[in-house]
Amino acid sequence: MKGLKKGLMAVVVAVLAFGMTGVARSAEPIKVGVLLPLTGSMAKFGEIEKRSFEMALDEINAKGGVNGKKIELLFEDDTGKPDVGRSAMEKLISRDKVPVITGGYASSVVAATAPVAQQFKVPFVICTGSADDVTEKGYDYVFRVNPPASEYPNAVLSFLRTVAKVKTAAILYENTQFGQSSSKAFEKDCASVGIKVLVKEGYQAGAIDFKPVLTKVKAANPDMIYMVSYVMDASLLMRQSKELRINPKLFIGGGAGFTLPEFARSAGDAADGVYSATLWVDTLPFPGAREYAAKFRKKYGSETEYHGAEAYASMYVVADALKRAKSLTPKDVRNALAATNMKTAFGPVKFVSYGKKTQQNKLDTYMVQWQKGVLEAVWPKSVATKKYIYPTPHWDKRK
Amino acid sequence: MDVFLQTVVAGVLKGGLYTLIGIGMTLIMGVMGIINLAHGQLMMLAMYVTFVLNTMGVDPYVSLFVAMPLLFLLGVVIQKFLLNPLIKVETILPENQVLMTVGIGMVLTEIARFVFSSDYKYITTDYSNRTFYLGKISFSVALTIAFGIALVFTAAMFWFLLKTDLGRSIRATAQDKDAATLMGVNTGRITVITFGLGSGLVAAAGCLLAPVYYIFPDIGGPFTAKAFIITILGGLGSTVGAIFGGVTLGLAESLGATYLGMEYEDIVGLTIFILVLLFLPGGFKRLTKV
Repeated sequence: MKGLKKGLMAVVVAVLAFGMTGVARSAEPIKVGVLLPLTGSMAKFGEIEKRSFEMALDEINAKGGVNGKKIELLFEDDTGKPDVGRSAMEKLISRDKVPVITGGYASSVVAATAPVAQQFKVPFVICTGSADDVTEKGYDYVFRVNPPASEYPNAVLSFLRTVAKVKTAAILYENTQFGQSSSKAFEKDCASVGIKVLVKEGYQAGAIDFKPVLTKVKAANPDMIYMVSYVMDASLLMRQSKELRINPKLFIGGGAGFTLPEFARSAGDAADGVYSATLWVDTLPFPGAREYAAKFRKKYGSETEYHGAEAYASMYVVADALKRAKSLTPKDVRNALAATNMKTAFGPVKFVSYGKKTQQNKLDTYMVQWQKGVLEAVWPKSVATKKYIYPTPHWDKRK
Repeated sequence: MDVFLQTVVAGVLKGGLYTLIGIGMTLIMGVMGIINLAHGQLMMLAMYVTFVLNTMGVDPYVSLFVAMPLLFLLGVVIQKFLLNPLIKVETILPENQVLMTVGIGMVLTEIARFVFSSDYKYITTDYSNRTFYLGKISFSVALTIAFGIALVFTAAMFWFLLKTDLGRSIRATAQDKDAATLMGVNTGRITVITFGLGSGLVAAAGCLLAPVYYIFPDIGGPFTAKAFIITILGGLGSTVGAIFGGVTLGLAESLGATYLGMEYEDIVGLTIFILVLLFLPGGFKRLTKV
């Protein structure tokens, strides 16, 4: 009798214990790793992206999270350095045992960390790092939400083909991996559109005086000047182009620094009329794009831009996959990610294979122009908020 | 020809600023025999002073009169309380003062990062983007003013060193510290004043650079390196040499950028640096004998 009682008690205790761990399990949040440069020279972008991730996370959790579970983000600082990124990635995988990792800003960091994700078979949803070859290696655990670097100027090229039929160009780029590869790709693009490149010059980021190189550009007198520059170099390049009265038909920035509000504020009127390639503007007809930008502005008192939208969308992509995954093992999450087909504030997301690329989201790119201190979408026409001003007026004819 | 002239003008204007940066370091080098490796960081501080004053509506050129005395005081404090005590401890080699300046530079950078964050700051004035033309050659208004002010300061420095008692004492200390001490010069005080002067001069460079450039905590390092190159070019401790050194570096960078490619800008400066060390040790001082 006593034995039976004891046995019953044991069963009851066991059931209770199981039940309780069951309860505890469903309340335990799903951990998601996020790799971002939170300190170092890229911290500015890391901050925009972190805030965007957190905004999306709050929205998702406020709506009850994923299948009744909340999501928790584990941010790891990669400091913009590949080696630090690698060890951060390994920590997320082996110590925190996250089922999925997202983030990834600098190309060099992404190039170093994607193989780690692949090796441990934990899905990595890259939100920014854009070096082309990351999605060209056939990794089946690596997904990328944003387009690869070589596709950034697509809208610019279509504009050049249809509107500004320029004949000659000058290309200036910062002498870094990003600058070199972007300028090389754009040189090839120029050849395909029939534009002759008269000057192609690298420069050292952080220079005080760009006049020597700009003087050379001025002497060559190209129809357009294409620049791949970080924000303060971009600002100085435009200020000094104005000083030297260089008057091409258009100035185009290849993404990076030219879309940031700091660029326009520090360059002043020299920024007016400058075009830039971009991946996103808040006036695009995507569900939640405008709301996201407005909310960001309200919450943080500063502007967001395409990097933030990428991060915001990536959070939703990850949450969507976690919701559909059969279980929370990396493998099932990976399979759910591969079947992603959704609309986000950053645009439609679907991981497809084309050319050499696999599991790469394919997106349109856009061209924007600074008009009186406001960044307006001007190309393609379907999303334009203002008509483009072409050719850019001569410096001395401006008021 | 236009390209060449424009390049030379750009180089000389930049050289004026470089002179101002280099002359302070040269002065300190001459008197104390050490390279101040916090020189660029002191300039960074002056730029932040200019920035803060500018947010209150003070013109960068007016803030010269605030930044220079402030940095002079800071220089005095650094020399008196951080560098001079090192000399008194016999087990510490005097060269260790150089290491001390490296540390001071790091501390200044991190303080700036703590207070102002890593964000880029910039000062826009209505003359930041303005230019005037002589023929086809453009002159940046801000850089031309900077060049003029740099000339004035350099000339004033000369007058001070040649004609005043204090200036003579500084030169005496630079030439022979022991002899100067025997002649009744308070060399301890002279080193303090010299460090202050050097800091004040580089502060002036910071104020002049602020309207045409931008400011962030790590800006000091590259300018310390430039000042070092100028000091070596000019011949360690020579004021005239520093002028030659500054203009040469500015010109070399500009010409290199135009005719070799701008990605080689720094390489050109460093190549000259090595060539001077190899073939003209002692720098331009050997040619001028001043």
